[in-house]
Amino acid sequence: MGFFDKLFGKQEEKIEIAAPVAGEAVPVTEVNDPTFSEEILGKGIAIRPTGNEVVAPCDGTVEMMFDTGHAVSLTSSQGAEVLIHIGLETVSLKGKHYTTHAANGDQVKKGQLLISFDRDAIAADGYDTITPIVICNSDSFAQVECHTGAVKAGDTVLTLSK
Amino acid sequence: MKTISYVIQDPLGLHARPAGHLAKAAMAWKDCDIKITANDKTVDAKRIMGVMQLGAKGGNTLTLTISGGEEDKAAAALEEFLKANL
Repeated sequence: MGFFDKLFGKQEEKIEIAAPVAGEAVPVTEVNDPTFSEEILGKGIAIRPTGNEVVAPCDGTVEMMFDTGHAVSLTSSQGAEVLIHIGLETVSLKGKHYTTHAANGDQVKKGQLLISFDRDAIAADGYDTITPIVICNSDSFAQVECHTGAVKAGDTVLTLSK
Repeated sequence: MKTISYVIQDPLGLHARPAGHLAKAAMAWKDCDIKITANDKTVDAKRIMGVMQLGAKGGNTLTLTISGGEEDKAAAALEEFLKANL
């Protein structure tokens, strides 16, 4: 095995995506929105949040910070395209209860604050706050492995292998 | 090459769900190269992240250019999709 194989060998092919928010990680199939449960936007996981902040799930670049703050997408430094969607149908809130802390094109580090949101107010307005985290380019990976259960922000929830 | 222009009627614009469905609709035409332009940005219509990145809102115009394969059928199908979903 050559030097570069050691550097970029099989172990390096795994990409870890962390929980952007604390809560209970559940299979994306449990999300009450077919766009997510049928994996239209890609494979992934969902978190029933207990926190009020979404942080970067990996090092990468912010590709699309929705000006409503209800969703953000990033490309990880290893090429995974990650969409975080805070709550279901929350585009209809038009930015209410969300504050953005990053902009399109920003280089971010894992754990860096992207969006803060008022979880109780979103729920009080009648929205499900479950937060899907999906890999839009799932087809680029042989496997998308989910890690469910109670999580803190920064715990690995998805492992991608090429 | 076929070109379609469509003004988004949905006031919520091309947010995550319609972006995902539009990319899926484009992916169905494997032999076609499909690009979408809005707000001076052009992206590959088959890439979900790209379609979302357009940030297209209600009232914005989407322009699709479709080339190769069954481009006439693809253009008709995508135009139907836009009318039904956006």
